[in-house]
Amino acid sequence: MSFANKRLGKELAKIHGSLPPGITLVTADGFQEWLLDIQVLDANPIYMNKTFRLKFKFSTSYPIEPPEVTFTQQPDRPIPMHPHIYSNGIICLDLLGQQGWSPVQNVESICMSLQSMLTGNTKNERPEGDAAFVASNRRRPRDIDFYYHDNTV
Amino acid sequence: MAKDDGPQSRDPTKALEYKEKGNRCFQSGDFKGAHSFYTQAISYDPTNPAFFTNRATACIKLQDWQIVIDDSVQAIDLQPENMKAFYNLAQAQIALDHPGEALSSAKKAHELCVKEIHSGGKGGSSITVITELVLRCKKEGWEKREKARERGRDGLNKELIELLRRECEKEEKELVTEGRGDEVTDLTREYEIKIEELKSTFEMAKIGNEMERKKKVPDWVVDDITFSVMFDPVVTKTGQSYDRSSIMEHLKRSPTDPLTREPLRVQDLRPNLALKAACEEYLENNGWAVDW
Repeated sequence: MSFANKRLGKELAKIHGSLPPGITLVTADGFQEWLLDIQVLDANPIYMNKTFRLKFKFSTSYPIEPPEVTFTQQPDRPIPMHPHIYSNGIICLDLLGQQGWSPVQNVESICMSLQSMLTGNTKNERPEGDAAFVASNRRRPRDIDFYYHDNTV
Repeated sequence: MAKDDGPQSRDPTKALEYKEKGNRCFQSGDFKGAHSFYTQAISYDPTNPAFFTNRATACIKLQDWQIVIDDSVQAIDLQPENMKAFYNLAQAQIALDHPGEALSSAKKAHELCVKEIHSGGKGGSSITVITELVLRCKKEGWEKREKARERGRDGLNKELIELLRRECEKEEKELVTEGRGDEVTDLTREYEIKIEELKSTFEMAKIGNEMERKKKVPDWVVDDITFSVMFDPVVTKTGQSYDRSSIMEHLKRSPTDPLTREPLRVQDLRPNLALKAACEEYLENNGWAVDW
């Protein structure tokens, strides 16, 4: 079994045991792609009573390489409004980029970071240039060099 | 010894040509072809350890373990610090069910690999596979000891039952000779109860032993990057320890501390000897944890 599968197997065993409130596992068939749902637990009006679906894609070098994490849209699973989340589900978070990633992070800690990224947000808006980015982007999320210009959100 | 050590005159250039041919066969998956070219190379130059380690590597693929052992020993004779030869040797020893010997060969390969890391040699990149092999040797050694213990317990169990049966027969005969034959049924039942009690006690010990294995692996033996048991923990200045093999993989991609993202270089890592000893002791008694 590869490095990545071994570790994901152990993460999965722990996830089946328990997950923090507001995070639920949807599917984890194999070690390529997992789906998880997250909810914001405090009374933030932007996200109240909404559930968001995350798609994790793992390469065989996980956790040395970061997983690819995006929000994915379903009839009852919108893409959350946030100045760092594009309307196609691509997330701009340094933790998930080549520079900010660390192999001590895991699926659970990523979900918690995203949860708190939403919790602390007060702006009901998309990133600048969202429409143009969504229309033109053909790159994979982790290959995009986001410009972390606005660290206040 | 190489069986094709013919009467050819030494010709290192020709030997290298044969080695190249062997490498090409190996890469294309023709391990038999690789084996015979390396044999030719050895016949032209029996002093080059690389020919022996290469032939051994081909023979691992062919699962011809005796040649792997002979060639590895030969390569080590020619070059005592031959990391690859010790690595090959350990694989053959484990395949032949000698986990104790395999473990010491694998540990030697690991030690030489760490040296290569510090001297910047290319062998340093083998740290992950060598660490995996060390852990596998530990697991197989533990399994072998565990099986021996189990056999010992089963044997003791059978022996005790046999003793009780014999004692029962002896007492039955005594009762009959004393003319108390009517008490024989009670006596037999009494012994049957004792034997059942003995069997269930041994069964309980066995179950207890299996439960022990389902216990959680303690966090302090687990590497935070691979989530596997550590064999060679090294510590960074944050005080956090990682297995040398996994932190090396991380540093290849990003020379930063996984916790703080401050710059971190291979030469900043320090062995954590006390934790290493504790991990060794833990695995000695819990070899199952390697596959956890």
